[in-house]
Amino acid sequence: MNISNIFKTATLLCAAGAVTLMSGCAANQAVSVNGMAADGHEYLLTVTRPNQLHVIDTETKQVVRSCDVPGTFGTGAVQPSPDGRIAYVLTNGAEDVYGFDITNCDITFSAKQSQNGVKVKTFISLAISNDGKELYTVQNPTRKLNDRYEVLAPRLAVFNTADGLDAKSVRNFPVDRRITKIMTMKNGEVILGGADIKAINPVNGEVRMLSALQNWARGADWIPPDAFAMFTQGEHVGEYIMPYFTIKWNGDPGDMEQAEFWWGMSRIDIATGEVDERETVPFEFIVFNWITDPNDSNILYGAFNQLSKHDLSQNKTVDVIDLDHTFYSINMDRSRTIYIGGTSSDISIHNPDTLEKIGSIQLTGDMSTSDLRIARLL
Amino acid sequence: MKIKKSKHALLSVSALALMGTMLTPAASWATDGETLIQEKCLLCHTNTGNPEAPYSRISQQRKTPEGWHMTLNRMQRMNGLVISSDEVQAVIKYLSDTQGLAPSETAPFRYVLEQKPNVVEEVDPAYVEMCARCHSNARFGLQRRTLGEWQLHVNTHMAINPTTELHALARDRDWYDIAYNDVVPKLAVDYAFNDPAWNQWQAKVKPSLNGSWSVAGFMPGKGDYSAVLQTKETSKDNFSVSMKGHYADGTPLQGEGSAKVFAGYEWRASLTIDGIKMRQVMAAAEDGSSLSGRMYQSAHDEIGGELTAVHGSAVVALSPSAIKQGQQKEITIIGADLKGSVSLGNGVQVVKVLSRDADRVVVLAKATGSASVGMRNVSVGKAKAKAQLAVYDEVAAVQVLPNESIARIGGNGGNIAKMQSTYRALAFSAGKDGQPGTADDLRLGYMQALWSLQAFDEAAEHEKDLKYAGSIDGNGVFTPGDAGLNPERKFSTNNVGNLKVIAQVLDGDKAVEGDAHLLVTVPVFVKRAIQ
Ligand code: HEC
Ligand code: HEC
Repeated sequence: MNISNIFKTATLLCAAGAVTLMSGCAANQAVSVNGMAADGHEYLLTVTRPNQLHVIDTETKQVVRSCDVPGTFGTGAVQPSPDGRIAYVLTNGAEDVYGFDITNCDITFSAKQSQNGVKVKTFISLAISNDGKELYTVQNPTRKLNDRYEVLAPRLAVFNTADGLDAKSVRNFPVDRRITKIMTMKNGEVILGGADIKAINPVNGEVRMLSALQNWARGADWIPPDAFAMFTQGEHVGEYIMPYFTIKWNGDPGDMEQAEFWWGMSRIDIATGEVDERETVPFEFIVFNWITDPNDSNILYGAFNQLSKHDLSQNKTVDVIDLDHTFYSINMDRSRTIYIGGTSSDISIHNPDTLEKIGSIQLTGDMSTSDLRIARLL
Repeated sequence: MKIKKSKHALLSVSALALMGTMLTPAASWATDGETLIQEKCLLCHTNTGNPEAPYSRISQQRKTPEGWHMTLNRMQRMNGLVISSDEVQAVIKYLSDTQGLAPSETAPFRYVLEQKPNVVEEVDPAYVEMCARCHSNARFGLQRRTLGEWQLHVNTHMAINPTTELHALARDRDWYDIAYNDVVPKLAVDYAFNDPAWNQWQAKVKPSLNGSWSVAGFMPGKGDYSAVLQTKETSKDNFSVSMKGHYADGTPLQGEGSAKVFAGYEWRASLTIDGIKMRQVMAAAEDGSSLSGRMYQSAHDEIGGELTAVHGSAVVALSPSAIKQGQQKEITIIGADLKGSVSLGNGVQVVKVLSRDADRVVVLAKATGSASVGMRNVSVGKAKAKAQLAVYDEVAAVQVLPNESIARIGGNGGNIAKMQSTYRALAFSAGKDGQPGTADDLRLGYMQALWSLQAFDEAAEHEKDLKYAGSIDGNGVFTPGDAGLNPERKFSTNNVGNLKVIAQVLDGDKAVEGDAHLLVTVPVFVKRAIQ
């Protein structure tokens, strides 16, 4: 590669990045932040036990930095900020949130959600506003009195990220029980994935239905879906994806002979809010999480004991390979390289076209239930 | 997934050291109990001022000694109660006696107190998914509470186990709302705090459990045994006990220990028998004429078997309990102080009395070829048998018990031991209709069998479960494989498996087979007094 070529590419990237970055780009074409390649360069974020946040360069597949997270391991939920610079991590038994500057491990934000005798648990629900100024969590509070507990109503809590350490929520709005995966849409609403998928306006708390799952109106021939997510992904294509499992009876409810077993999903385009809710492929094996191929939204990849590839246009599993062990989470970088993580201490790297394993990243501890997120550092 | 299942396999495991601590003698709990509650519990609980229910939360529940133990354990572990173990024992004793369960209330759920493994519970559909997916129905079936106390306990579940509402079979419904508003009112009726059974039992004069008992029991790997159990009340509800007897093959059995009685009938004993620490969990009959329950190894509660103790001199059991037409064989008659001549009923002749001990009489018996098929009453002198002898033509069917079972991998350097599972072969003859599996089948009792294993289904065959999951010995004792990931297996799976346990009973030159399902699975990390 000749010098002028490198120069051209850098300028081009810089121009693209500058729109959001709004900083002098031309002056410094070697775009980096604290020595880390930036300008949209992608980093993989995950948490391992005992409690470290790892920042992994998707180009070199090397861990560039590991930050100690205060408190005991939570669920390992991670939410990158829109500029990719800050990673918000749920920790301390899923009660506290800490924000880390991924370029130096500095803690820029913290919120202890349990206060005044009220214990608050957040089941992975972390999201950030499009301007990075507000952090959203769903809080599930209980209160311990002298000789009994009270169960309080869950709520969306809004924090100002600029409040820094020991931030307190600035607004709260009631939400449904059982909410796990949440994500902010381009219009600012926050998708709440629980029994049904709803959207809440974090300014005034208005809630609307996006995708009725538990309360879908399909009649007795279908069982209400078992929709569940303990992992967040979809940022690589700008979507929220909630997998579900359902049964179509084709006759008497309970008659397993006639029944069809289906995987399905509710997939929401976060730019438009458009919902794509449908059955995907027949249930043949367990798939924990799905991601969409950026080149073809009919292609999904799924992971658990197998890495699988599915074509929604045919409702078919088109390819499947066995993995070395069980994995929970899956994600993809800009070059369509697949990363599979969670459970143990190694991230398995795969080619999306052949599913073949092309690499592995060894971490210092088990990822357990942790997210595997993509941060694009600007 | 909303597929209704009414049967629920109970994944039973140990009660840890519970029984052990329960048996440490604490001198004067009867008087101390109430004082201790006032001193120790009212730091957090309140005096309600209502003499019917003086202590908040505490006065409106009734449960077994194990149930109270679980609650007090949580008070210490999660709520900050500071109390010595002697004081805990005193409080358990006091609450079990004053807010316990009547014999009729514990009767349906004794298996869980007895730590009996592999029980399949019949669970009301209202509870199957809502409650009995995490623990046994027995855990709450052995409690009686007011509506308010059931409600508060649902809140406790939500608070100490916040993901309760997110598990499979919970997240597909409004779990908290259903639990609080639908399940709780039903619990308050099915397991109501106010029940005449308890008032009547409390009013009753409790029988003395002092004296000499004839014991018949079974121990996996060893077989049937007979013994005399001597009990001596050293202070109210505390006993010193000794047991002396024989296994069916003549090997002697001997042990000593102590026992405590709760609520007038709950017998909990700890003995060392032939060097092995054993526990007895029994219930006394309401008239005090017998005790029945299970005895198991303290360190491996899956290794145990039922036992029955009958007050005074009686025939308690026969081993074996069937004889084939035309057959001559040894039969052990189990009971205490059996004096006088032995009668085995029509067509069954006592060829010879082989031996007599305090706990048994061994005879050589012969059934004539024409002895009619059916049950015979057995007596020794004046002692009439509770047990009967079956005369049969041929073995037509074999049931392997337990029919659904679980063993758990362990060991291999880890700190959780393997959990074995044990089987017995129960034989039947066909009865008049010549068809096994019908109502007129004759139960012949447990028989010796040849034991083997098979893959349960095609998937198990494919995964080579038979090779990895474990092995069974000649006594029907299954030992699971080592814990830990096994790189030889697909996905490096650990040595779990899905197997069929096969018993072959030989009857003349014919072999009759029965089988049972065995799931070899991973260890349980949390062990509770009541699973
Ligand atoms: C340090 C505070 C504290 C002390 C001391 C304490 N408790 Fe409690 N107790 C609680 C709390 C908090 C709860 C409600 C949460 C729970 O059930 O664990 C509770 C609940 C209970 C319940 C209801 C449990 C259920 O299953 O619904 C019982 C019964 C009880 N306590 C008995 C006792 C007894 C008996 C003592 C004294 C030996 C005691 N507690 C001492 C704090 C305490
Ligand atoms: C998510 C699993 C789960 C579900 C569902 C569940 N339980 Fe439990 N339950 C537990 C655990 C764990 C404990 C032990 C608590 C402790 O640490 O003492 C327990 C304890 C109990 C106890 C004994 C507590 C005591 O101290 O006396 C009762 C009674 C009980 N549960 C009843 C119920 C009932 C009734 C339901 C259904 C409404 C139910 N449980 C549903 C997990 C569950």
